[in-house]
Amino acid sequence: MSTAPVTGSGPGVRPPAEPGQESVASRVVRALLTQRIVLLAVLIVIVVALFFIMDANDYLTAPYDSDYMAASLINAVPLAMLGLAELLVILSGRGGIDLSVGAIVSLAGMVFGFAYGQWGWPLWLAILLTAAFGGLCGALNGFLIAYIGFPALIATLATFYAFKSLAIVINSQRPISTKPIQELFSISRSVELPLIGQQLPNVPLGIFTFLVPTVIVVWILLARTSYGRRLYATGTNDIAAKWAGLPVRDTRFKAYVYAGVISGFVAVVTVGQFASARPEAGVSGSGMALPAITIAVLGGVAITGGIGRVAGVVLATLLIVWLNAGILLAFVGNAGSQYQLFALGTVLIFAALLNGITNRRYGGSR
Amino acid sequence: MTMTTIEGGTPSGEPPTVAPRARNRILPSPVSGQEFVLLGVIALMWIVLAFTTPAFMTAGSIQPLLVATAPIALIGIGMTIIIITGGIDVSVGGAIMVCAVTTAKTLVDQSLSLPVAVLLALFVGAVLGTINGLLIAYGRVHAIIITFGTANLFQFLGLQIFGSSTVNGIPQTFAFFGRGVSGRSFGIPHAFLITIVIGAFVWWYLRHTPGGRHFYAIGGDPHAARLAGVRVQRRILLAYLITGLLVGLASCFVIAQGTSTLDQTVGSGKELAVIAAVVIGGTSIMGGRGSVLGTLLGALLVQTVTSGVTQLGWSSQLSDLFVGIFIIVAVGADLLRQRARRSA
Repeated sequence: MSTAPVTGSGPGVRPPAEPGQESVASRVVRALLTQRIVLLAVLIVIVVALFFIMDANDYLTAPYDSDYMAASLINAVPLAMLGLAELLVILSGRGGIDLSVGAIVSLAGMVFGFAYGQWGWPLWLAILLTAAFGGLCGALNGFLIAYIGFPALIATLATFYAFKSLAIVINSQRPISTKPIQELFSISRSVELPLIGQQLPNVPLGIFTFLVPTVIVVWILLARTSYGRRLYATGTNDIAAKWAGLPVRDTRFKAYVYAGVISGFVAVVTVGQFASARPEAGVSGSGMALPAITIAVLGGVAITGGIGRVAGVVLATLLIVWLNAGILLAFVGNAGSQYQLFALGTVLIFAALLNGITNRRYGGSR
Repeated sequence: MTMTTIEGGTPSGEPPTVAPRARNRILPSPVSGQEFVLLGVIALMWIVLAFTTPAFMTAGSIQPLLVATAPIALIGIGMTIIIITGGIDVSVGGAIMVCAVTTAKTLVDQSLSLPVAVLLALFVGAVLGTINGLLIAYGRVHAIIITFGTANLFQFLGLQIFGSSTVNGIPQTFAFFGRGVSGRSFGIPHAFLITIVIGAFVWWYLRHTPGGRHFYAIGGDPHAARLAGVRVQRRILLAYLITGLLVGLASCFVIAQGTSTLDQTVGSGKELAVIAAVVIGGTSIMGGRGSVLGTLLGALLVQTVTSGVTQLGWSSQLSDLFVGIFIIVAVGADLLRQRARRSA
């Protein structure tokens, strides 16, 4: 986009759209296209309204109501947390991406299984160990990428293979599901909110114990700390950031460490959800990394770095989770999970193409 | 990357003040340093395996290894072109699934002859590749995002065509590509021979034709390539189309290697295996540099590791750990050499 120095907006210049002169319609279109959060919010309303209408007309196999929507939020916990991990990493720029988060979830989950299920550590200590271990895995990624100069895709592809293999070999392919691990399933049960809980549906406990704290911490980190400003600066233009005296390598390194720590927490959530520490938890099927990257991109994170917000990732997760929950009810049997793939792919390509259009017409989105 | 035109030419001993003189040879040497290293590593592994496991250096062990290398290497050839242009394709796993299940189902329903079945697989692969190419070249979106999206769509499509969980009773039409006696000439599996022939052709095409050099130009700097008269979008579309065709052929190999049953896990995880082979082969993920020869060696290396781990009696899951380590070592060695070249 060549922006010539505008000295008095001449008639021939295509105006950079001054708000006062626009019609309401064009302003709405502009907001939808340039502000990912507005677009996602509208899409969520459309999806939920659509399924409510289908429910009212008896097209669904089970009621799609607020209770069902609240219960389905349990799927949002790992998805949104890993989406936030990818947000940090992709923000750091220079092709930042982390393919290894799913493998870290598997391996850290096994570590948690050993500590809590076999060595009998107290829960808080086991969780701390798991998070620290995840951070260590992330530090390996960060070291290779920020200090040695590996392309992120390659480094995390390699560690994906390594961690995945270790997670399976470490306990000879066997899951750990001793008594304390099985009782951990209680963290994924639904609870009634205090005070106003009578009127609202019950919400899975994992939302409050893991997801909300992670969202708040990542938001504070990005929006209210100097580290966050450094991360955006590094991701936008790391050469400029270096000349401005910022510790570019250190900033990028830490982004991968934080992503690893978040993956460690997700490992605890996943172990609780399955009531078992499974060696292939994060890598079975298409794994956890690809959906997480999809969520981040859908949430408006630019794959080139430096652009992206916490709110976008959270809204994108809600959209996908409620869309998936509805699709499960709309089809009988196995077909639902297949149509979930279709929906995820379509929404991602749609969002990506929209980004392309936005970039050309409005010079970028936020 | 303009560096490639002069690299290989200047001996490192020359004083750095002398500007590199223009030379007649504008191509890098036919075999790069990375490829020599890979050859050495593969040779070393084969020697070690030959001494530690007596069964390794027998035809009964080498032939399956070559057959298993073929699909990864074949798709790797196309992936090399894509990565040279600065793109990537993470949807090949899903594409294998669609091609394999379509072909297998048609074979079960109506007995096709071998050429017709291969043409069908090629056609399906070409369609999928074209979808990727059109979206990436003309939608102007980063390739990794589009192919993450199409990976989901292809998986959906594949599972829909599967219908039930498996396709049973696939006839032996593809035995020509298979593990059996009819799949070999002079002891060499046909699947591997075909891969080598296609690899040699693409190697020549990329190095010695203007069209091939255009891929490198696009990967080095797409804007400069456009200004120099390269039709960038068509070239990018072509890269994904070629990969689609190769995925189609590779799906035939995959069907041939299996039993008469095809299950829903076909192709899953193959995209990462292919990318691993390509980057181990020294192709730069940033675009503009790489060769098909390296990719073939990379695929052979990965398969040797897998086969070796099994023959040594270790857990087969351990082979992924070695693949990860090899990616780090191979790419790390390449990074170090680049750094040395830059400071020299």
